[in-house]
Amino acid sequence: MELVSLLSRMSFYLPIRHRQSCTRVAVLPSSDFFISTVERLCDRVQSSTLLEDRRDAVRALKSLSKKYCLEVGSQAMEILISVLQTDRNDTEIVGYAVETLTNVMCNEPYEEEDEPPRALPEDLGIQFTEMFIKDPENISLLLSLLEEYDFHVRWPTVKLITTLLINKGKAIQEIILTSPMGVSKMMDLLSDSREIIRNDGLLLLIQLTRSNTNIQKIVAFENAFERLLDIIAEEGNSNGGIVVEDCLLLLLNLLKNNSSNQNFFKEGSFINRLPAYFELEPADQSPQGGWSAQKVTNIHLMLQLVRTLVSPNGPQQQTMACQKAVFQCGLLEKLCNILMASGVPADVLTETINTVSEVIRGNQGNQEYFASVLAPSNPPRPAIVVLLMSMVNEKQPFVLRCAVLYCFESFLYKNELGQSQIISTLLPTTAEVNTITAGQLLCGGLFSSDPLSTWFAAVALMHAVFDNAKQKEQLLRVQLATSLGNPPVSLLQQCSNILAQGAKLQTRVGLLMLLSEWLSNCPAAVNHFLSNNANIPFLISQVSASEGDEMELIVQSLCAFLLGICILYNSEQVEGFAKHDLRNIIEKRIGLEQFTDKLLQVSKHEAYSRAAKKPQLNIQQTSDILFDHQFTKLFKQLENEVIRAISPGSDEENEAEKKKQVALEQHESIVEQYKGIIREQDSQLNIVRGELSELQNKHKECNTKVEELGRQIQQLKDQNALLKAQRTGSIPVSSPKENGISVTQLTMDLDAKTLQVKENEQEIEKLKAELTKALGTASSHDHGQVNAMVNDSSSPNMSGDQFSVEDLNRKLECKEEEVKLYKNKYESMSKQLVQLREQMTSGDLQEDKHSLTQRVSELEFNLTAAEIEKKRAVDNEICAQDKLKAVIEEKAALEEKVKKFEKDMAELEIELEEVKASATEGKKDQEDLLILLAEHESKLKTYRDRLKELGEKVEDDLDDDDDDLDGDDDED
Amino acid sequence: MSYAYLFKYIIIGDTGVGKSCLLLQFTDKRFQPVHDLTIGVEFGARMITIDGKQIKLQIWDTAGQESFRSITRSYYRGAAGALLVYDITRRDTFNHLTTWLEDARQHSSSNMVIMLIGNKSDLEARRDVKKEEGEAFAREHGLIFMETSAKTAANVEEAFINTAKEIYQKIQDGVFDINNEANGIKIGPQHSLTNPGMSSSSGGGNQSSGCC
Repeated sequence: MELVSLLSRMSFYLPIRHRQSCTRVAVLPSSDFFISTVERLCDRVQSSTLLEDRRDAVRALKSLSKKYCLEVGSQAMEILISVLQTDRNDTEIVGYAVETLTNVMCNEPYEEEDEPPRALPEDLGIQFTEMFIKDPENISLLLSLLEEYDFHVRWPTVKLITTLLINKGKAIQEIILTSPMGVSKMMDLLSDSREIIRNDGLLLLIQLTRSNTNIQKIVAFENAFERLLDIIAEEGNSNGGIVVEDCLLLLLNLLKNNSSNQNFFKEGSFINRLPAYFELEPADQSPQGGWSAQKVTNIHLMLQLVRTLVSPNGPQQQTMACQKAVFQCGLLEKLCNILMASGVPADVLTETINTVSEVIRGNQGNQEYFASVLAPSNPPRPAIVVLLMSMVNEKQPFVLRCAVLYCFESFLYKNELGQSQIISTLLPTTAEVNTITAGQLLCGGLFSSDPLSTWFAAVALMHAVFDNAKQKEQLLRVQLATSLGNPPVSLLQQCSNILAQGAKLQTRVGLLMLLSEWLSNCPAAVNHFLSNNANIPFLISQVSASEGDEMELIVQSLCAFLLGICILYNSEQVEGFAKHDLRNIIEKRIGLEQFTDKLLQVSKHEAYSRAAKKPQLNIQQTSDILFDHQFTKLFKQLENEVIRAISPGSDEENEAEKKKQVALEQHESIVEQYKGIIREQDSQLNIVRGELSELQNKHKECNTKVEELGRQIQQLKDQNALLKAQRTGSIPVSSPKENGISVTQLTMDLDAKTLQVKENEQEIEKLKAELTKALGTASSHDHGQVNAMVNDSSSPNMSGDQFSVEDLNRKLECKEEEVKLYKNKYESMSKQLVQLREQMTSGDLQEDKHSLTQRVSELEFNLTAAEIEKKRAVDNEICAQDKLKAVIEEKAALEEKVKKFEKDMAELEIELEEVKASATEGKKDQEDLLILLAEHESKLKTYRDRLKELGEKVEDDLDDDDDDLDGDDDED
Repeated sequence: MSYAYLFKYIIIGDTGVGKSCLLLQFTDKRFQPVHDLTIGVEFGARMITIDGKQIKLQIWDTAGQESFRSITRSYYRGAAGALLVYDITRRDTFNHLTTWLEDARQHSSSNMVIMLIGNKSDLEARRDVKKEEGEAFAREHGLIFMETSAKTAANVEEAFINTAKEIYQKIQDGVFDINNEANGIKIGPQHSLTNPGMSSSSGGGNQSSGCC
């Protein structure tokens, strides 16, 4: 397919070749032979199985490829590409193939002494390149060959890619951009230790980076700046050879019109490495030394590099930053040194002045530094003065004088201080007699017989008052002493006089530009100008003139402009030349149409549009010099106003104009008002914004608080759960109410029990009494001695009858039963107590707990509601905050409740303790009772023993009791 | 201005997620609501301090559009850090992260530190991607994660600085070969002076490997 299209292209060239071969057939019989050889060689490369055969064939093709590039290219290209793919491992054959392709595609005409070159189509190489890149894979193939370290492959590959880029740069750049590692592979060439590859790599990169911002950025990203600056330094900076030049060309490619890379260059502090380039050696400064052509080239490129960074056409912010950096690293100082050095070639000096101009332009700090630079003359003079001397010296080269003007302009650009310094040197008060000042030089230039000097001086002076009303008025004070005996004449008048005398074209153009700027926006200057009766008639005569060549037309046009300015800034103070007077004169003597027509001649001129393009004079010949850049700005700004000012201008219309003006002013004031309102609203907006962000912050805080609260609730829940768990566990917990009931029950039981115990005691008392009675009867029976004291341990004499003893025994039995009963009761009471405890354990706290949980969930609900509301609207903040407060309060209440609950529990526990205590007390009472009973029992026994001793029969069933009471007996 | 280290970053992610605004906020501390589409790649730089050391960040802000994707790929290899940005109000920008990440992993050095950034956190009301989702994605792919707002500057400093901290840590751990500039790391001129022994010994190592 590829081959077919190739051949179809071939047929297009065939007639040419045939004609050639026909005419030369006698001289070159072998031409056709070589052509058929190409075919045979291609055959061999394709069909031969031996690598060596193929290699020889490719080598042969290579040797033919220069002379018969058309034939080799059209027949062998596909074959050679497939060699690159299949024989990749043999560096030799790959090298030959790549070289052959290069020969085919490079457009170098093949020259041999005995043979005139064949007439081949000029774009043959380009066409072969197009064929080659039809398959983008071929470029990838070449990029992969770049990775091959072998010199025989890498070097020709570099050359082939360079050739391709020269032929079809844009297309290949696009292909390389889609290959991620493509650029870095080419960047790696700069690190190749073999200089020839590094140097050819440079040439490749120069082609690669031509007008493709994206590739330029990638190359910069791959550390190109550092590598290139390193190479330049290694090669000896400006003293280095062509490699330095190539590096600089590549640097310029990377930086020109690429603000991102410029920013990277500045941010990477690479500007700091530039001052070294401008270090002058003693040999450079000797007048007979002479600079090598290479050095001149290198320095030129280095200066261009600096200018690229500080270009007035770049983004202002970046230009300012670079200007500052250039000053800070001492580069400006180095450049100023070159300005003042001797032995510097004129073109280098000129370019250095241009560079300094752009480094200081509009940058106050740099302008101040420049003003302080002194030339090493005797006595030392400011550099500015020395430069101005060259500007008004007609023997100096024209381009140098242009450069000085550019430098002077740049020094004054946006520099009110500098302007006043220059103007002050013209004023009588400060002018010193013995030193040469800038003002003197400018005045001298202004009235020089050399029209260029006048033009330069006029433009320079124009920049000294540009856009500076104060200095315009100051300049009015300047008086000139013309010749002895005559009264001094003002500078302004002198300019008008020279103008009227019909000086050379450039002189007049220069002066008219100066006067236009001087009079614009300065009614005092207009008055001064009008006060000389000759001036207006002169201007009228110029504008109304009908004859004259193209250049005269320009002068007439500028005169019309000046006339217009006289109307525009007329303060109506000079009689006969007020606005309406001038308007009348124009209408009568010139006619409005002709006036307008004349006025617009300026902007139609080619030189005008050329000057408008950029600040620096873009002029090769002295005769072309006409307009200044800043003047074109002034003209553009005022031309319409001038036309309006002279347009059908009766006074009424003037009135109307005034009314319009007033309306306009009103309008403006309204606009101003609105602006004020907008400003106010803006500030309000800002305040509101601030408030909003504050609110947002608060909202955030609230959210975190809500989250915190959520966490606390969780904690509370956890505590609750823990409490529940504890309650079901070992620690008895009871609700206050239930507990209270059971406690009262318990207390009641206890009371009852105590009562019973009391009854018991009473009965014991009764028993004692009966016993005493019985004893009494017994003793009265035996001895008649009765011991009334029951507790008396002294053994009373027992005496009594059996009857009463039996009675006693019964009663005792009865007592014993009662004691048993008490024991039972006590047991049941203990049981009750236990039950009570159990009840307490299984407790009915749940109700309270339930309500508590409910409240918690209620609280949770409230919280979620609050959250939702928060989310819904930021401006519901306050409401949300209130809710939050409520939530916090509820939380506090909840916490309090929990505290209370805990307190209650503690109280309950205390009560329980008390209950327990009273229970133990009851038990103790019981025990006491038992002891008492035991004592009684023992007494009974002693009584019984006594009875026995007394000879009474005692029933056996009491013996058991005896045994029971033995211990007590022992104690007794 | 001298520095101890220089790190190269790239910012990647879909178009309109706020990459250029993040860079502008970081370098100039301002927000530009209306920003032109980035064409190709733009450069920005700033100095930061980590561990008492001055570190210069050089940042390449890439164009998010598909048509610039191949250009962007050229920047992966030489970068030490990448900020992968999506827009929390646009789920599709989050869905495309996998593609971006594959691209980055394929073309970068394996040590490149990637910070995942969910930008526009100020537009909470329009949020379309949950923070948790971003966190999960980052966890899954071993990235650092942060939500930022180039508009309010929230977390913007942190995003750039935390990435630098991670790179710095990797240097301390010896993961990065700091003498290979292809990693996007450079030792400052002043710093290399303080460690002459180290740099010369490693230089020797390089030479010997070159011989082999």
